Formats: sequence, C-alpha cells, structure tokens
Amino acid sequence: MTWWCSARGTAWEWTWQPYPGVWLFIGLLAAAYLVTARRLGPRPVDGRRRAAFFGGLLVLWLALDWPIGALGAGYLASVHMAQFLMIALLAPPLMLLGLPRSAYDRLAERRRLLAALRFLTHPLVALAAFAVVVYWTHLPGVVDSLMVSQAGSFLLDLAWLLGGFVFWWPVVAPVPERPGFPHALKMGYLFLATVINTLPYAFLTFGDLPFYGLYELAPPVSGITTRQDQQIAGLLMKMGGGVILWTAITILFVRWFQREEAA
Amino acid sequence: MDSRGRGGRRTVGTAAALLVLATAAGACRLEAPERGEAARRAQETGFRGRVIENPGPRPDFVLNDARGGRFDFRAETDGRLALLFFGYTHCPDLCPIHMSSIAEVKRDLGARFGRDTKVIFVTVDPARDTPERIVSWLENFDPEFIGLYGEPATVDSIQLSLGLPPAMVPEPTAEDYEVGHGSPVVAFPAGDSIRVMFPFGTRQADWLHDLESLAAFASLGSAGASD
Repeated sequence: MTWWCSARGTAWEWTWQPYPGVWLFIGLLAAAYLVTARRLGPRPVDGRRRAAFFGGLLVLWLALDWPIGALGAGYLASVHMAQFLMIALLAPPLMLLGLPRSAYDRLAERRRLLAALRFLTHPLVALAAFAVVVYWTHLPGVVDSLMVSQAGSFLLDLAWLLGGFVFWWPVVAPVPERPGFPHALKMGYLFLATVINTLPYAFLTFGDLPFYGLYELAPPVSGITTRQDQQIAGLLMKMGGGVILWTAITILFVRWFQREEAA
Repeated sequence: MDSRGRGGRRTVGTAAALLVLATAAGACRLEAPERGEAARRAQETGFRGRVIENPGPRPDFVLNDARGGRFDFRAETDGRLALLFFGYTHCPDLCPIHMSSIAEVKRDLGARFGRDTKVIFVTVDPARDTPERIVSWLENFDPEFIGLYGEPATVDSIQLSLGLPPAMVPEPTAEDYEVGHGSPVVAFPAGDSIRVMFPFGTRQADWLHDLESLAAFASLGSAGASD
C-alpha cells in the first residue's frame, strides 16, 4: 500500500494512483475543523470563513495527491516547486482565515499555549523560521534523501505546511494581539519573504548543472530537459511566490488605506 | 531588566540564531550518499566513472548504421574517444537519461568535448527500433549521435565481450514491452590503456568532470584528472 507520494523510480503513467495517507490527512484536518466549529457554539461558522478554510484544504489536497503530489515527489522539480507554493504559501493563510475569531479567543484562554505562540509567531522568529524551512528543505542532499521514502516525503510536506502556518500566523491570525505589528509592518514582513525566496530561485534558475539527483535521474515525463525543468522551478519560486506574497501585500495595503480614510 | 526586556532579547536572539541556521544551509552541501561514491572513485583513479585498467583492444565489430551504410566500430573510432551504449528507444528511463545527460554536457563542453569524439547507440530491440525511429529518437538529444543496429545474436556477443549482460526481450512480446539490458555507457579513450564505465546514476557533473579529460586523453599521457 502506498500511503504518501514519494519517488518510485518507475516510468510515469497517467493512470490514477490512490494515496490513502493523503486522504486520511486531509480528512483529519477537515474533521478537526468541523469538531472545533461545533464546540464553539450553536452559531455556525460564517460562510466566508468556511469557504476560506475548505478552499485552503482543497489546495492542500491538490498539492499532496495524485497527479501533482506524485509528479513533484519523483519526476519534476518544477512540480515540486508548485507543491511548495501551494503547501507553504497558499493553503496556510486560507486555512487560518477560515478559523472563526472565537477559536482564536479560546487559544488566548490557554496561557501557556498563548505564550508559546507569542514567541513562535513573533514576526522576527516566524520569518527566520520560514527562512530555515525554505533553505533547508530545498537543499539537494535533503531532497534527494527524503523524497525517496514515503516517511521522508511526508516529513518534507509537513515541514512546509507547519512552516507556512508559522509564517502566515502573525499576518493573518488575530491572536496573540500584536498592536506593534500594524499593516505597514506586515507589508514589510511579506516583502522580506520575497527576498528569502531569491536565494533558491537564483541557484535553480542560473545554476550550471542540475541540482537534484532525484529529478536529474528520474524517468522523463515531458519533453523538457532536466535543466529546463529546474529553471522553471526557480522561476516558479520567484514569480509564483511573488504573486502570492504581493497579492497579500496589496490586500493589506488596501485595508490599511481604507482604515486611514475612515479615520 | 524587566521580563518584557528579557523576552525581547530572547526573541531577537532566537531569530538571529534561526537566520544563521538558514544561511548555513547555503554553505552546507549535505550531498546524498551516492555522490560520495563518485567522489571516492575520483580520488582513487581521477575519474568518477569506474576505470578498467589494461582492458585490451576495443571491440572489433561492424553493424548497420541507422543513417545508411555500415559502421566499423574499431576503424571509425580508432585514436579517438568513443562512448558506446546499448539501449532501445522505447526505454522509459535509463536510455533517454543517459543520452540526455551526455548531450547536455556535450553542449557545455563545446570544443572541449572533442571534435572527433563519437557517441554510439546500439539498439537491443531491433524488432521495434527501425532505422528511421533510431535516427528520430537520437535527434531529440543530438543529431551527431550515431545509431547502430544488427542481428540480436551479434549485438549480444558484443555486449558479452564487454562484460555486459545480453539483452532480455520478454516472450511472447506484447506491443508494449520492456527490454532488460546493461546500464553502463562504456568510454573508450584514445590509446585504450583504460576503459571507463559510467553506470546509470552518473550525474551530469560526473560526465563534465570526466569527459573533458577522456577527450584529451591521448595528449595527457596518463590517466585521470584530479578532483
């Protein structure tokens, strides 16, 4: 039984493959959300929040399951990069936005948890932690070693997801309150994240040789060469990541502007 | 200092430590284990491929050239670097990866690859690999690659003479079948004092490291380049 997408070294086939570990993971997240929403009281979570959470969950499921999960795990560096964007940059903010305010307030009632969150999601710590996740999970030795096993591949995906939650928490989550982190600083924070993406983008796009043995020696899927695939991965990281982050910056700017106008 | 100040220092300190860890990733190679094997061979022999000392003369065979005529391997490659590989065009992995890697490195090296260097592909699946198909497939990688075909028994005997396993074509043959065959590319540098085998898993960095030295082998006068 293959529970999670990992590199298999076999020729690619456009034949659906089941990955029940992915379904279980997504199912558990969905169940946790629904149980949490029920425990918060009789009033249902508003439609927009529910759509945000399940939208994020859909993005996560698409990134982890066949075909994207399988292609990214063992065949194409560009698809692996698309997975990173979906898992770390797209799904977490949507899922965090999907949590109702009352869920965050419940967190605030647990002092030790709140203290840990306050530390872990401090913008400086969160940004630095995100940099650690981005750089270390894109190292050739790490990718080549982890992606060949289901457990290793799961670990990498989990690192991206958790790193994404930590990164987006200070921007999206209302708890812990950070009056010293207004919209303007949040925009700066997100801008710094675009700078973090620059280093792996540069290596991948302008590198002379293939970075990852995993993708260099994978059975070919498309007509592109290994180096072209790697360059696409680098450009995706920069531009795809840029689109996501700058969209968030734009939203923050609009909200900040509207608030200033109202004041 | 009050607790808020201590907390602030701890936060900044943690962030700084994480940033150092993040940037250390750039300096940390963390290569996968198989890279160490190629590097070890390079330290021992100067080549990342597997060196065979005193291999004897290169094989003497004549096969059909997919572009027409006959190809005498020994005569056509005498005094020059030849890369010989046995595969088939329907191969899902090994064959296109080898050909693609060599083609990419050939483009990188340009003139340093050697004007006279020949890359020769011999099909182990003549039932499906018509001359036209061989030419078309090779041109995906490099139009200068040479494609050969011949009787299965002849091709098998050539492989056996090089220590490679004969092809295993499944019986009965469905339309879509895979052929078992040897994986290495065999490099014959000028002079034939060594032979170098490049197994599947040879990276483009390995090809780049070895091919320039192999192409210039006759003028070097001794084996290998240092790593």
